[in-house]
Amino acid sequence: MSTDEMIVTGPGLEMDTMFVNLGPQHPSTHGVLRLGLTLAGEVITKAFPDIGYLHRGTEKLMEARSYAQCVVLTDRWDYCSAMTNNLAFCLAAEKLMAVPVPPRAQALRVVMCELNRIASHLIFLGTYGIDIGAFTPFLYAFREREMILDLYEALCGARLTYNYIRLGGVAADVDADWTSKCREFLEFFKPRIDEYDTLLSFNPIFLARTKEVGLVSKEAAVDWGLSGPNLRGSGVSYDVRKSEPYCGYEAYDFNVPVGAHGSCWDRYFCRVQEMRQSVRLVEQALAKLPTGELMAKGVPKIPKPPAGEAYAHVEASRGDLGIYLVSDGGVAPYRLHVRAPCFINLAILQEILVGKKVADVIAVLGSFDIVLGEVDR
Amino acid sequence: MNPSADVVARLLAAVPKATAAAAPVKDYPTVRLAAPADLLPAARLLKGELGFTYLEMVTAVDWLGPVSLGGFVCRGNPNPLSRKPAAPPVSPVPGPGISYRPVLDLLWSFGDLGENRKVFLRLEVPRDRAEVPSLTGLFSAADWQEREAFDLFGIRFSGHPNLIKILTPDFLKGHPLRKDYIHQEDEYDVDR
Amino acid sequence: MVAKAVPGGQVVLTSTDYIIDLGRKYSLWPLTFGLACCAIEMMVAYAGRFDFDRFGVIPRPSPRQADLLLIAGTVTKKMAAPIVEIYHQMPEPRFVMAMGSCANCGGPYYDSYAVVKGVDRIVPVDVYIPGCPPRPEALMYGVMELQKKIMRMKLERGGGATLQAEKGSRAPAGDDA
Repeated sequence: MSTDEMIVTGPGLEMDTMFVNLGPQHPSTHGVLRLGLTLAGEVITKAFPDIGYLHRGTEKLMEARSYAQCVVLTDRWDYCSAMTNNLAFCLAAEKLMAVPVPPRAQALRVVMCELNRIASHLIFLGTYGIDIGAFTPFLYAFREREMILDLYEALCGARLTYNYIRLGGVAADVDADWTSKCREFLEFFKPRIDEYDTLLSFNPIFLARTKEVGLVSKEAAVDWGLSGPNLRGSGVSYDVRKSEPYCGYEAYDFNVPVGAHGSCWDRYFCRVQEMRQSVRLVEQALAKLPTGELMAKGVPKIPKPPAGEAYAHVEASRGDLGIYLVSDGGVAPYRLHVRAPCFINLAILQEILVGKKVADVIAVLGSFDIVLGEVDR
Repeated sequence: MNPSADVVARLLAAVPKATAAAAPVKDYPTVRLAAPADLLPAARLLKGELGFTYLEMVTAVDWLGPVSLGGFVCRGNPNPLSRKPAAPPVSPVPGPGISYRPVLDLLWSFGDLGENRKVFLRLEVPRDRAEVPSLTGLFSAADWQEREAFDLFGIRFSGHPNLIKILTPDFLKGHPLRKDYIHQEDEYDVDR
Repeated sequence: MVAKAVPGGQVVLTSTDYIIDLGRKYSLWPLTFGLACCAIEMMVAYAGRFDFDRFGVIPRPSPRQADLLLIAGTVTKKMAAPIVEIYHQMPEPRFVMAMGSCANCGGPYYDSYAVVKGVDRIVPVDVYIPGCPPRPEALMYGVMELQKKIMRMKLERGGGATLQAEKGSRAPAGDDA
């Protein structure tokens, strides 16, 4: 007898729905997200995500900060992969100023963003494992991530919020010592991804909990504006690095993993495969690292881009991060809007949780890999 | 960016009084609509016939003028080492190419994932009667982004299933991203 | 604590305060309460390289089972009311640590309309850890400072409550009267 048939009825028995509040403080909500669930037994009838518990008003603050100060604030949106945030903002400002970035800076930007993609997906792997109930991958993933953070610390002094990609180029240079340590890390890391596959990806319990759960069809994914591994897990092969290449991505050889069914497992495995592709990208970028300047010439200390509007988007670890920048010729941006992938990805929860069991909520929520800093800005 | 001149031409032909924007978003085709009633026909054309099934972004710009410093809670200079008085970097006069006017300028961005094309739609609405039809019937991605525009700018989207605040706390009055927003002190701003 | 030699071995003499504070400081159980970026550095502190378990620090998911509230991240006005409720749900003796610039004083969002400029406006704080984000070692140093503070707690001062809970965050340190 399936659970759908076990609804007990009888004379005098009343059925009522229950409201469960997955409150802002919860170990598995990846930050301060509140999910209001209306349950009929174990089945969800209505899911209402309540956000804004980390709304810091950065879009307003940017209107009173100079462009260099704005880069500092960009780190704190998707704080698990801060380099891509810096990059999106700098690309938009450089578009307005029509400043050509030197090739060495572009290659270094690619190296840092791809390393950051690996670090961010490692956080996802560790925390998604904990959500499902597996504690060991968390420790393994964070061990590898510490090595990437050591590289970043040697480069720019910070472990999490880097402020490294600046207007016109990058802030610091790498030397032969750094590149050799980076290659050492990549050699150490390649067999580790295979280890994660044996530990988690093809684990029967993990498969049972994620393989048929949280199905998102291709049409629904496009309709709800999903991006990143969430969109690719549903079968839509759209990656900003391939469709509108920036920073020289057209010269590198890499694949874009695409899932088949749109289940939680597809989204998860897309990210694991993306880590492999990021390793390839870093190796290629380091092999052909051009010599030259780090910063474009002619960018003043206090830049004042000419009046106009620009839109630049990058393939961040969590999706298509776009920056819409309006300048009025002043020291501070006139208007800055963040097209935040996590904010738009989260909206689909209202639809796909309805009719599902409450025990699958955390698996589905975790598979979308949201970071509340980007949802609320 | 792939040339989308045919998209612009189809839109201009189908929607009355739409114009190709004089100052487009850099390197992307931008079409300015004349009235809120033109939005739904343009969106239907884009989604149905032209293949732009992906709504990327819904946002707005307030062209009133330099942002009022009353919208920021800290009024002193946070840098104790600076000898100069606090002077936040807000420009007093507009640079060339920008004209300040009391309108809210909405911006929609549509994408065609198969052909890698993108097009921007713009619409100006007056600040005191900011009312626009909602795109939630055609694109579900508009749901939360329109709620955000309502919360931060005060633009009403008619036909939206659930137009309530999404980001700011319930007790916050006003629409923070408007340029003339003055912050009213609440209990958390008092230094005890 | 004093060791006295007696015929047949040694006897260790101590005071009740000392032994109770020793138990408290080596079993601080924080609530898993990460708000923003500092939460990632807090998670790293629990992970392999900067193992927090050797301090006796184990994260607990429920405020009823925790005695340390580690506010890691920006406190927004919408989140302020839940934080106060969580603080009141924790059983005494409880301690509060503000981790990171945002929790100390508002941080990089010092002029934002939606940010509480420092969590000490809503709950009394025992230890402040500066940084944006602070390194995991800085977090451990903060815990060590809290441990030193715990050793100053006395039973006679009303049920073992800390100085901060009685006098508020701005009370001068070392005030043992």
